[in-house]
Amino acid sequence: MSTTALAEPVPLRAAPGPGGFRLSRVLLFAAALLALLSLVRVITGADDITSSGTVGAALRLAVPIGLAALGGLWAERSGVVNIGLEGMMILGTWTGAWAGYQWGPWAGVVVGIIGGALGGLLHAAATVTFGVDHIVSGVAINILGLGLTQFLAGLLFDTGEAKALGGGPRQSPPVDAIKTVSLPVLSGGDIFGWRSPDALGWLERRHWLLVSDLAGLLRGLTAGISLLTLVAVALVPITFFVLWRTRFGLRVRSCGESPYAAESLGVSVYRMKYAAVVISGACAGLAGAFLVTVASPLYQDGQTGGRGYIGLAAMIFGNWRPGGLAGGAMLFGYADAMNLRSGGESVHALLLFVAVLLAIIAVWQWQRGRRSAGAIAFVAAALLLIWYWQSDTVPGELVSFTPHLTTLLVLSLASQRLRMPAADGLIYRRGEER
Amino acid sequence: MRRGMRITAAVLASAMLTLGAAGCGGKKTTSDSGGAGGEAKKTLKVGLAYDIGGRGDQSFNDAAARGLDRVKSELNIQTKELSAKPDEPDSDKEARLKLLASGGFNPVVGVGFAYTAPITKVAKDFPNTKFLVVDADQCKVSGANVEGACFSEEQGSFLVGAAAALKSKTGTIGFIGGVNVPLIHKFWAGYEAGAKAAKPDIKVLPAKYLTQPPNFNGFKDPALGSDAAKGQLDAGADVIYHAAGGAGIGVIKTVGAAQKLAIGVDSDQYNQPAVANVKDFILTSMVKRVDVAVFDFVKAVADNTFTAGTKKYDLSNDGVGYATSGGKVDDIKAKLDQYKQEISSGQLKVPTS
Repeated sequence: MSTTALAEPVPLRAAPGPGGFRLSRVLLFAAALLALLSLVRVITGADDITSSGTVGAALRLAVPIGLAALGGLWAERSGVVNIGLEGMMILGTWTGAWAGYQWGPWAGVVVGIIGGALGGLLHAAATVTFGVDHIVSGVAINILGLGLTQFLAGLLFDTGEAKALGGGPRQSPPVDAIKTVSLPVLSGGDIFGWRSPDALGWLERRHWLLVSDLAGLLRGLTAGISLLTLVAVALVPITFFVLWRTRFGLRVRSCGESPYAAESLGVSVYRMKYAAVVISGACAGLAGAFLVTVASPLYQDGQTGGRGYIGLAAMIFGNWRPGGLAGGAMLFGYADAMNLRSGGESVHALLLFVAVLLAIIAVWQWQRGRRSAGAIAFVAAALLLIWYWQSDTVPGELVSFTPHLTTLLVLSLASQRLRMPAADGLIYRRGEER
Repeated sequence: MRRGMRITAAVLASAMLTLGAAGCGGKKTTSDSGGAGGEAKKTLKVGLAYDIGGRGDQSFNDAAARGLDRVKSELNIQTKELSAKPDEPDSDKEARLKLLASGGFNPVVGVGFAYTAPITKVAKDFPNTKFLVVDADQCKVSGANVEGACFSEEQGSFLVGAAAALKSKTGTIGFIGGVNVPLIHKFWAGYEAGAKAAKPDIKVLPAKYLTQPPNFNGFKDPALGSDAAKGQLDAGADVIYHAAGGAGIGVIKTVGAAQKLAIGVDSDQYNQPAVANVKDFILTSMVKRVDVAVFDFVKAVADNTFTAGTKKYDLSNDGVGYATSGGKVDDIKAKLDQYKQEISSGQLKVPTS
């Protein structure tokens, strides 16, 4: 371990070099994708693929996944693998609903964060203080989170006032939703009670090439947005700033890259790992609180549905970076929204989109001299095109696993460029370096 | 035998341990007779094995629990209730049934179609115990001591489909099913047929299933129901029928918030406190009388009138139906009751898939 660290000094501050993404490049890339999507929409007539409703739903569905991914990022940047995100999220849903139905949704958010953070604290105690294998501890927390909340729900939601309000051993009483806001003038928001025009909505309904798609995208991101969604979205740049631009963040990351080097420089590795894993649990708890105050109106046993694990996938997809994981979460959210809203026909239109995308990749790879990769991409594009022409819709069974298929594809295409923290998942004992 | 018991107990105990402190809300023994179990008086011991969710799910299992509670109030019985765990194998269900049967519980009820195969298997080992499967798979059971209760959900769904079509102002209605399984297809088939019968030019949006098996989150995650409902509202639907269990709460809340109409399922959802603040937007509910099936069965065993084989619960014996709470369907009740009459008499056939 130490030899590799010597031979290959790990850059603690990733420079925006050839491997990094510059903002302008990302924006250009996004614009090209949108243009392609718009073209596909006009050709196929599947208006829902860029509608504001789809974008809004994608954002709503992406937030819990993205928050879980942020939780994973915090833990893994400090060198602790956190597979217990799912359990911490479950704790967040229960505690959030418990406080939420009594004292309002924002109290639910705060208590949900605390609930998740307690799960994180437990994980930190097990992995950092006692040196338990990270996976074992994480799985234990998932089981504990599920069992504990079921037990507590039976104990507290099935009696007295809670029961009269609609609680039961499997669900909480309903929690009021957090207020939603819309941007005035552009998306029809209210200004002091005056209902302003919905300019983007008007543009969207014209179904013009590119213009309507852009309007739909913007309207989806600005109309009917829950205040908690704004908080969650803001956490992405905040995480980036704290982890990459502050002293505390540098120390946390150094614990994840080379804890013994950090130790030799006087960093309290245990304390840093504790802090990071508790923050990780808090993020997962917030994801759970989001589920009970925004996405659903109450706590329901089993409602997290594996979002914690999908968050981990989104984090890996995003190469252990905040911007990347937000993109991954949006991709999952978009695929889920497709599945829930329009299903077969819209996904059918996306076949054409993916086919064209693959064809472009084929040409690009070919020009770079990677003939075999180009050929494979070309064949895949041709097969998708044939599928597109031979069918009218995609069966529901396939639609439901589009997000997973997409991840698999992207991960297999980009896995060579992924780089996880060097000491991720290793057990660290103070002063034991050999 | 005793050894078998001990193994079962060990399996159960370890299963409980796996679920942490939860025990899945599972075991509950109550005795209404007041005295010790050894009393010579004729006390019926009823064992009830729930599907995932168990007592308190405010839906299917609770309906069975209501039936049991009703029996309890009318007969002198002792009960034991056990719940299933999510994603458990059939062998766990068999162990649960064996535990009940060998504990002297007779009759034994399995709630949910997942108990069909386990009960058929276990019933052979306990020929003197009477078993009931609620929602028997494909409506088929075998064995001289097994009864299967089947519900004609498509008939009830036909009526609420007709109600949806008659009440729709936009001429577009929607359906949201929890999981893409044959049982839920029955709801959809009846709904669509009913809507088309009442109003031939109605537009019924394609059925939306929240998840595909083996992923059963579509019955549990209200967030999925909520966004699916938003999608159908955006597509112009103004009446949406859900057959999605717990996820349906998301559907009802979203539809209610948009001031459109929702149709509930299984029990009369108008009276559920969890959706009380939007209950004015619940048009009706497709009611499935699981409680009646459980009550009839226990009563039959007590009166020694038990008959093996399947028993149909449909419109003709009020095993399924529609709810009238809230008075939203009062003006079309005559029309709905006419359909009900035609279906009961066999004049009108409702498709099941």
